[in-house]
Amino acid sequence: MQCPVQNRDNADLLLAYCARRLDAEAAAVLERHMQQCEACRAFGEAQKAVWAALDAWEAQPLSEDFDRRLYARIRREEEGSFWTRWVQPRLPLNPRPALSLAVAASVLLVALLVQSPPPASRLAEVEMVDAEQVERALDDLEMLRQVNLTPRAEPPVTQAM
Amino acid sequence: MAQRVSQDMVAVTALEPDAELMLRVKGGDAASFALLLERHRVPVIHFLYRMVQNQAVAEELAQEVFLRVYRARLSYEPTAKFTTWLFRIAMHLALNCLRDGRAERGHASLDVETQENASRQVPDRRPSVEQDLVFEVKLAEVRRAIETLPAKQRAAVLMHKYQELEYSQIARVLSCSESAVKSLLFRAYETLRARLAHLA
Repeated sequence: MQCPVQNRDNADLLLAYCARRLDAEAAAVLERHMQQCEACRAFGEAQKAVWAALDAWEAQPLSEDFDRRLYARIRREEEGSFWTRWVQPRLPLNPRPALSLAVAASVLLVALLVQSPPPASRLAEVEMVDAEQVERALDDLEMLRQVNLTPRAEPPVTQAM
Repeated sequence: MAQRVSQDMVAVTALEPDAELMLRVKGGDAASFALLLERHRVPVIHFLYRMVQNQAVAEELAQEVFLRVYRARLSYEPTAKFTTWLFRIAMHLALNCLRDGRAERGHASLDVETQENASRQVPDRRPSVEQDLVFEVKLAEVRRAIETLPAKQRAAVLMHKYQELEYSQIARVLSCSESAVKSLLFRAYETLRARLAHLA
């Protein structure tokens, strides 16, 4: 067989062997090769040492109230808002595309609102303009009335040719 | 009608047991969720513990994993093995935690005798104090060696060694190809051999 240490394509054979996941036939072939190949033998022994060290690393036992705390969190969510009860369970695990769309739509809406002033203020403007115009018109009328009451000015003298 | 019923049953039985349970959770069966939790909480917590090396943070992350599984129940589709999906969620949370540095804030120093290290029960098979010390030093070396691995290599090694996931599953969890997984494992074990071979 091709040396697994030299040929990286076969290196996972050694990994599988050291993880005790290689089938019996393949393991036997590899062991025969290891008896002849110094590099593979050293590789195998070093890998076994790694596994033994990793085996020694036991995980901590979990807390006794782990389940109780989890169910309490679930209950809190179940009793929560409309969002957590009805919308969130139906969202995909990755809501980023939907969120991006929502943000874009919000920005567009704000932009539209900023550009077009609300009708109420426009109405107020029109009302203001009308009031001013009326006042001016009244002043003009008053002025004209006063002009009509003064004596007529002498007609201009036209010079004879 | 009978043919359609038997075809549906064939489809259901073709699913793995965990996927079947999750589909029942989707249908509102709380007992199935409890069963999934009982089956998978310990492996998930152990994986997270070895990733972040902090038991309290690992349990908090594990709670978040199962909470997300529960939240996603209505949109669940069995497109992959249940454990692949579960460990993908766990891995993402672990990577985020490592990036945020949350595990380090409560992290017990490996050089100091702490509550976490002191609470380890000494098995009866090691009555000698000297043997206990040697064991603790060895353990500290292992933890340090794993901690120095880049996050993806660390995750690959932990899933390969402790969860015994296949390369294809690890590839789906890490969103990469099988050959990329083998490459990650090869480099990770190379580093570990260099750091831990003297412990043999």
